[in-house]
Amino acid sequence: MLRYIAKRVLMFVPTLVIITVIGFFISVNAPGDPVERMMTAAGSSGEVGTQSASQVEQKRFWKQKLGLDLPVFYVSLTKLSYPDTLYKIYDKNERQALERLLDQYGNWEQIAEHSHRLNNIYTRLLFFNPVVDSQATYERDEFEEDLNTIRFEILSLKSCWQHAVIQTKTAVVKGLMSKYDLTKPFADELDEVSGAYQKVLDTRTTWKNYVPALHFYGNNQYHRWLFGDGGIYSDGIIRGDFGTSYQTKDSVSKTIFDRIGWSLFFTLFSVIIAYLVSIPIGVKAAQNRGGRFDRISSVFLFGLYSLPNFFVAILLLMLFANPDMLDIFPASGVKPTEGYPEDANIFEKMWLSLPHIVIPLICYSYTSFAFLSRIMRGSVIENIGLDYIRTARAKGVTEKAVVWKHAFKNSLLPIITIFAAVFPAAVGGSVILETIFTIPGMGLEAYNAITYQNYPMIIAVLTLTSVFTLIGYLVSDILYAAVDPRIHYR
Amino acid sequence: MMEKEQEEFSFGMYAWDQFRVNRPAMIALKLLFILITIAIFSPIIANDKPVFCEYRGQWLFPATSLYTTAEIQGADGKTEIVQYDIADWKRMDLETVIWPLCVYSPYESDLDNSDYISPGGEQFFTGKDGKTVEMPTRFKHWLGTNKKGEDVLSGLVHGTKISLTIGIFSMLLASFIGVFLGSVAGYFGDRRLQTTRARFWLTIIGVFVAYFYAFVVRGTVLSDMLSNSGLLFFFQLLWSILIFFAVLYLIRLFGRLFDRVPFLNKRVYVPVDMIVSRSIEILNSLPKLILIISLSVIAKPSVWNIVLIIGFTTWTDIARLTRAEFLRTSQLDYVQAGKSLGLSEARIIFRHALPNSIAPAFIAIAFGIAGAILIESGLSFLGIGVSADTVTWGSLLSAARENFNAWWLVLFPGLAIFLTVTMYNLIGEGLRDALDPRLKK
Repeated sequence: MLRYIAKRVLMFVPTLVIITVIGFFISVNAPGDPVERMMTAAGSSGEVGTQSASQVEQKRFWKQKLGLDLPVFYVSLTKLSYPDTLYKIYDKNERQALERLLDQYGNWEQIAEHSHRLNNIYTRLLFFNPVVDSQATYERDEFEEDLNTIRFEILSLKSCWQHAVIQTKTAVVKGLMSKYDLTKPFADELDEVSGAYQKVLDTRTTWKNYVPALHFYGNNQYHRWLFGDGGIYSDGIIRGDFGTSYQTKDSVSKTIFDRIGWSLFFTLFSVIIAYLVSIPIGVKAAQNRGGRFDRISSVFLFGLYSLPNFFVAILLLMLFANPDMLDIFPASGVKPTEGYPEDANIFEKMWLSLPHIVIPLICYSYTSFAFLSRIMRGSVIENIGLDYIRTARAKGVTEKAVVWKHAFKNSLLPIITIFAAVFPAAVGGSVILETIFTIPGMGLEAYNAITYQNYPMIIAVLTLTSVFTLIGYLVSDILYAAVDPRIHYR
Repeated sequence: MMEKEQEEFSFGMYAWDQFRVNRPAMIALKLLFILITIAIFSPIIANDKPVFCEYRGQWLFPATSLYTTAEIQGADGKTEIVQYDIADWKRMDLETVIWPLCVYSPYESDLDNSDYISPGGEQFFTGKDGKTVEMPTRFKHWLGTNKKGEDVLSGLVHGTKISLTIGIFSMLLASFIGVFLGSVAGYFGDRRLQTTRARFWLTIIGVFVAYFYAFVVRGTVLSDMLSNSGLLFFFQLLWSILIFFAVLYLIRLFGRLFDRVPFLNKRVYVPVDMIVSRSIEILNSLPKLILIISLSVIAKPSVWNIVLIIGFTTWTDIARLTRAEFLRTSQLDYVQAGKSLGLSEARIIFRHALPNSIAPAFIAIAFGIAGAILIESGLSFLGIGVSADTVTWGSLLSAARENFNAWWLVLFPGLAIFLTVTMYNLIGEGLRDALDPRLKK
């Protein structure tokens, strides 16, 4: 048995590796730049095109802290024309522009030269704050405005790849530069950039795009995510650190720890309620199979099964949490809006939360009624036809004891399987229900994470759910063996 | 006599006979045909343009016309250009007119009746003379309006199209993947597909090379299409997949060169079943809804992207059932007979074994469509998935969250989802009863 468990646990490893890689693949392909978003959220990004030096510095810091300055995976399969250091360009738009240029022309050296010159001119422009002699304010303003336009256009040139766009933009910038004596030197520099661009056009090696190349990286995002970076910014999930949330800049593990309580509560209790309701129904239906109770309950449960839970949730809210209908239950949250009183003990807290959890609990549990009672009915029917039941009956055991002591006990197997699903379900939470009822659980967190593209959280949820699912499978298999001595694993 | 009966008997006919006596399932099947009809004819069932009208002596078919404008030559010699989507048809002097059943388009805001008008509530209509009168019966909002004054009935009709499209096409994709992988896994198992060492390793390398040419080289094209249009992306994806297999095939051809090299020509088994079963396990252990939601955030919101996402994530049940069935079928005599006759493996699998093993997959497909419709409505309820200006059952329902008094916004879309899902579940049940010989009547 132990050997079997060890073997199964060992099998987790490749599965988990693939799952985390899937999560990574999703997060890397996500649109937008997390650092950019974090800066915008913090309100620290200034006018377009006028990034200050401190912002650049701050960006670099977050890139490092989040590990986004590293290559993604151990291996990358790219085109021969791509250099193995492309990941170092940390601006997503700029990197994309370079990739597109490479796709078009395939000569990295020349493209790098072009981009290098462009960067130079941009940095110099950033720090170029001349004192304008002119007395007239409007002249000064006009100059300032044109300088800003120049900066903006150069910045946007860095993320351009279409030939026509580059040509037009360069012409516009050049026109503006030659307008003032102060910016004339830049115009000459821009000519050099154009020269570099012309060279890119002249020496294209497109064939390199059709030759595969492999690059290997020892230190990469995935490795860092698994094992940490030596404790500077991250400990790696090996030590329970899921990284930093893009949304709150908090630790993901801490957020999960805070949030999982309510999801666990709801999944656990809904399963218990589902058992309490559907086991008796299933057994009773099996007892008089084909009878009235059997038919009516199966039709009713079948209907319940097809009802989408968000429909039921809204319907219940409309009926019972509506000032114009019956205002019995609150519409959202899990505790009174003013919070618990300070001196409340756990029971008082539960009492205060009770009205909040009634409707959600109904919505959580009713969906499994049909499924569970059907399984129960099926396995009781299967058992009731067996010889040992006939023996029991022949011995004169009461019908009640026959059903509950003999048949029911032996029909428990499928019920175990359902219980194994509780823990993975808790990690994922119920996205829809938690959003409707604003339950601060994992489902709402996952939903927020997805809409905010908070990928460390999403990967954490994906990984944890699959870990728990795999453990759940294993536990239910072991329980099978424990309940049924006929089952053996090797 | 006996022989003739044998000839005419087929499992399909038997199953159909079994299915036909199942009354709920038959009713559900008829309902499904009605829904498909509604979905196909939705432009002439609910539209703000008339199906047919006569305007200044000219016949127009605005609802179905492929043109966007019409030039009207009046008797007085003046030309008037009618732009179909801008024209205010309800207030035009039309000589004869045939309206659709519901005279509103799903996104058309009726300003006279905005802010949640209930089906029985008072509705108004401003005529072309500028006077507001009581709503003419023909123009009534039979199922009420939402906040912006959009007609609920029209939204329901057009939502039918989206729900059915997503349900049916995503399962079509899922069943292609699931049936193919399931049958291959079940038929070959782990110890039946043999190949030489050289070809085995070349194929593994070839997968990466093929991936390179199909997806890395075409990466920019694919990502451009992904952010532009779902359908075009679909074609580009198909093209990429085609390239993938073509390259793989070429590399395998190349592998034949090594067939005579001593070490490399040793025969090895390909663990097909293990690969497929492991993939099913991986996909099943991921939280499906969260996976689907995070994928739909990456992709541009569109119906076809949702079809792709649901299709690629829900094939596991179909594959599992097909595999189990194939494990049984591949041991049967006629498969062995086919082998001894020297038929190719592909022919045995897809011509002979598949028709006898596909029954369980049908059941899974019926339930799968119900599931896909539930997922789609859940996604649009959350405001993700299809683009924000597409009216779906889920998005209608979610509008009710802003106003709990608008019961018609909850009830009608909710019932539409419920009915459709029940319908597919009933069909699934009926199929299960009909296809499982153990439940024979």
